[in-house]
Amino acid sequence: MPVNEPDPAPPERPESISDHFELLAVMGQDFAATLDIEDTLKRALERITGHMKAAGGALFLLDEAGLTLTCQACSGETEITGLTLNSDQGIVGRCVQGNAGEIVRDVENDPNFDKSVDQTTGFTTRSILCAPMSVKDQRIGAIELVNKLGGDGLFMDSDLQLLQALSSSAGLAILNARMAEALVEQERVRRELELAAEIQRSLLPERRADDFPVYGVNVPARMVSGDFYDFFELGDGRICFNLADVSGKGMNAALLMAKTASLFRCLGKEIHDPGRLMARINEEICETASRGMFVTMVGGIYDPSSGVVRLANAGHEPPLFHDPEAGFTALPANAPPLGIPPLLAGEVGFEVEELRLNGGTLYIFTDGVTEGYLADGSELTSEGLMELMRQNKELPISRRVDAVIALIDHAGAALRDDITLLAIDDKGPMKIRMENGGAAREAEKESAASKSPGGDADRLLRLEFKSRPDRLKLVRAMVGETARACGSGENDVRDIIIAVDEACQNVIRHAYGNDPGGDIILEVVRYPGGIEFLLKDFAETVDPTKIKPRDLDDIRPGGLGVHFMREVMDEVEFLPLPREDKEAKDKEFVGGNLLRMLKRL
Amino acid sequence: MSVEHEIREEGGAKVVAFEGDIDLDGSPEARKVLLECIGGDKPVLVDLSKVGYIDSSGVASLVESFQKARKKGCAFALVSASEAVMRVLQLARLDKVFPIYDSVEEALAGIE
Repeated sequence: MPVNEPDPAPPERPESISDHFELLAVMGQDFAATLDIEDTLKRALERITGHMKAAGGALFLLDEAGLTLTCQACSGETEITGLTLNSDQGIVGRCVQGNAGEIVRDVENDPNFDKSVDQTTGFTTRSILCAPMSVKDQRIGAIELVNKLGGDGLFMDSDLQLLQALSSSAGLAILNARMAEALVEQERVRRELELAAEIQRSLLPERRADDFPVYGVNVPARMVSGDFYDFFELGDGRICFNLADVSGKGMNAALLMAKTASLFRCLGKEIHDPGRLMARINEEICETASRGMFVTMVGGIYDPSSGVVRLANAGHEPPLFHDPEAGFTALPANAPPLGIPPLLAGEVGFEVEELRLNGGTLYIFTDGVTEGYLADGSELTSEGLMELMRQNKELPISRRVDAVIALIDHAGAALRDDITLLAIDDKGPMKIRMENGGAAREAEKESAASKSPGGDADRLLRLEFKSRPDRLKLVRAMVGETARACGSGENDVRDIIIAVDEACQNVIRHAYGNDPGGDIILEVVRYPGGIEFLLKDFAETVDPTKIKPRDLDDIRPGGLGVHFMREVMDEVEFLPLPREDKEAKDKEFVGGNLLRMLKRL
Repeated sequence: MSVEHEIREEGGAKVVAFEGDIDLDGSPEARKVLLECIGGDKPVLVDLSKVGYIDSSGVASLVESFQKARKKGCAFALVSASEAVMRVLQLARLDKVFPIYDSVEEALAGIE
């Protein structure tokens, strides 16, 4: 049936609903064919006004809260589109509130009649026909017609019957259109989420060759994930890695995840100390993080040439280290999550933990793994995870990780939480290390000096001095010149001076307890890849576990120096004094300390 | 002694100018001088323009002085910190804690 054909001439005899099937059919088709509800409503109202021979018509819609009625479309002689009334105002308000149609033949004397509209439009309202639009109990609005053309200008009961039929059909159409709109919106959101998920997936690292020692998996519970992991190689063969969990789920978590992942990727290439890296990321997140959102993260650097992992844990689930011989060790967090603003001076230090993998595997994961549901409905738990890793220890790393995921991410069950698991397997690199020199490894245990970077060593400086504060200026001058001679830039020279000066004063104050008679030896050795500083003293051996960079908000002398050293140098190790140094001092000598620091060039 | 000092009055403030290195050798003296200056109603400005080096013990003296100044309700600021000094303050995450100005004039205007 052509939609825009003029309406058929109205019949002359008294009307019944069945005479208007054609109009109802045309309107129904109009509503079904369009998603532009406003345009369709206007057309329907024009048809109704014309068909019912009214001078004018107005269609009012109730707002979502049910507080106001707004004129959505007009036809005929009155133009009040946009007019907003309280939902109980006027005859239209009464009609909507009572959910009943009515004919008002004596408008002048109706208490609800609002004269102000006539005053504004200049139109004289004589009679009104009004029918509510509603579907079941849901009130949508009303259609109001004014002044019947011809005759006595008054509407008849049959007019009301007809308008009620037409308006309830319009109401249904509006409701349908609203639902369709909501569906379209849902579809749009779904497509955008899909795009977001795709971008998120692109933030994850690409899968590497089977023998690559790092492997990770991320499975989002919903379309987007609040978890992520990443790893990439630094220029010197070391691998920078991280895994993090953003509080909350959904889009806001996904956006904070994207931000944190980008920060890690970007800053991780510049800052090679995990503690310092975390501190920087934390500063950035704190600057802009939305209230109450935080990120737990484990980040670190793995060196396949030594099997050493250095990592910092900001409030994250403890990673598990699996030594095939000694079993599992958990590495609990030693700093709060990222995004929790520090109270006063800078952030709390992110302590770095050093771990020698020795052919073992480090597993880092989110609680979505340990709290994931197995097929029988029970949780995997960390014991379950450990058991699985024990059973599968002979499998390649990717299959070990995939086996865990397969247990939690089984068909037909929604995930409880995002699941993310990253593993660093030192088995392959360990084999290569053994082949390249098992003998060297043995020697390494004997002497700390052989841990130094490969290549020809060139001892540039050996300085022996007493443990007196007034010697430090001289030491700084010589260290500065030596660093310059190695080609260090002025910023590095300045940093190196700070670290060596702090190291010397630690020896003076803590090892020798301010006794000015102690001996200190400083050696500076140049390697192709860096400068090594060896500081030896002959005081009582200090327990290295008691030397810690302390929290920066507790400013007392002492630990601040260690913090400086760790910030500035790439490696800082407190070691026992090697045997040859003890013997050089005295055949019977017991004690002594060696501090080894390395600055990469 | 690795550090010398000079105290002068300028624009209603007490300016403590150090010269040399505030290191393990010099920091006990610097600490003593600073703590003695704080307590009056005059703001204390620490002029570091002639300080070539400061170590963690020197930083600790500054922090102690700053804390005392805050307790006494006395303004305290650092002036003309060299790059080497700024680097140490930054390592200690104190570069945003201390008020730091480029000159005594700016400091006087800033602490108003």
